[in-house]
Amino acid sequence: MSQPWRILVVDDEPDLEPLVLQRMRRQIRGGKYQFEFAGNGLEALEKLRADDTIDLVLSDINMPQMDGLTLLSQLSSLNQDLRAVIISAYGDMGNIRTAMNRGAFDFVTKPVDFDDLQITIDRTVEHLRQWRDATASRDKLVTLQNELDIATNVQQSILPSDFPSTSEYEINANMVAARNVGGDFYDYVAVPNDRMFATVADVSDKGIPAALFMMSSRTALKGAAIGTGSPREALVEANRVLQADNPTLMFVTVILAVYDPHSGEVTYSSAGHDPPVVVRTDGSAEQMPATGGIALGIAPEELFTATLSEHTVTLAPGETLILYTDGVSEAMNVEHEEFGLARLLELFVDKAPENAEEAMNAIFDAVAEFAGEAPASDDITCLALHRSASP
Amino acid sequence: MELAQERDSGTNVISPAGRVDGSNSADFHEALAAAIADDDSRVILDMGGIDYISSAGLRVLLLVAQRLGGSSTPFAVCSLAASVDEVFRISGFNQIITVYGTLDEAKAQLA
Repeated sequence: MSQPWRILVVDDEPDLEPLVLQRMRRQIRGGKYQFEFAGNGLEALEKLRADDTIDLVLSDINMPQMDGLTLLSQLSSLNQDLRAVIISAYGDMGNIRTAMNRGAFDFVTKPVDFDDLQITIDRTVEHLRQWRDATASRDKLVTLQNELDIATNVQQSILPSDFPSTSEYEINANMVAARNVGGDFYDYVAVPNDRMFATVADVSDKGIPAALFMMSSRTALKGAAIGTGSPREALVEANRVLQADNPTLMFVTVILAVYDPHSGEVTYSSAGHDPPVVVRTDGSAEQMPATGGIALGIAPEELFTATLSEHTVTLAPGETLILYTDGVSEAMNVEHEEFGLARLLELFVDKAPENAEEAMNAIFDAVAEFAGEAPASDDITCLALHRSASP
Repeated sequence: MELAQERDSGTNVISPAGRVDGSNSADFHEALAAAIADDDSRVILDMGGIDYISSAGLRVLLLVAQRLGGSSTPFAVCSLAASVDEVFRISGFNQIITVYGTLDEAKAQLA
């Protein structure tokens, strides 16, 4: 039996403690979680200094004496391997964004939905487990293959799978890792006015350094996307964060799109990544215009900003937006031919996808059939956003 | 990784060939690093023989550019195959690394 995960809940509302203990009683009894409580940031810091076995800090933002954002900025000085999840008021995107920029792993909104909280806690501790494996192994200078396995696990642990699905639209996504690479990821995050950011990204290189860079990229992108409606602005900010401290010259290509379910409008911007594809209701498909842009992490802000634009398209009911990495278009068969963009565009001529999952399955099936026995040389990642035919 | 090399009064022209991806990018880096000397007055990478380059390969080019930038040695690539040119264009690398159409252009213009 493994040790329970130790979670420090920081909130000035006394009601929360009995509620957490009540709603999480099964996990507590089962030895999965163990909770500690603190009433504000100062108290939390005292507890953390006295007890270095805390794995996760779950903190409110507004508290007396020391607030959650100040607590976050103090956590790094503790020299302790833990993760923070922020509890914030619904729609308080400014604070959430600041929290993500200060290293919060994730956030939940008030009133706390305990099912959602549990999913978030599980995902965070699973990530922490993979992360500790990765850092422990790096210290031990493991063999390359082990390193790649660990990198792949870190990669898998950050991919969300609770896909958004409403009467107006749905998202589905998948990443199939190649044996020797660990670099792609996808993500999505809800922003105010019911809008949804979605991204697909491809990190240069492989192994643990690439996996660690992937983590920074994911956090920077998520933090930057929250609080701006503009993918271009978000990419500029993420580039600033990643470029500031990047001695190994890793980079990540990103396609970032924000969707407005009320109008069907998609605004996207690309940092060195292929533009999206839109599948029409008649099964035809076309690639959207490029937006310029340089991969994140390597260009100074002025150059990066000068070369980047964004573009808006409107999805008609029944249409599907597809974000993909070059693992799709450059998948190779045994004859060393590439799958190519043309095959992707012709994939739906007989039948337009009726939902996001159908689009994903069609793409992954087609690539697998094309590749045959040829081993994948790159990760294959795709995200589909489908606007419902009739809301 | 095989690469041909020609030095002409300080201009170092390096011509790698084949495919650069995650499986051989470390070799590619090593071979390039060994082919560059501290007293080269400029370095041109003739990519005509490269038919595929992945992001791991692009990162090697960045590392080389960084090293040469540190000694203020002019660096450019030239003669990109159509598919490699597309990778440069989409990734924005054509904004970061100087690209010439042909080796002759590179020799005439890189300073």
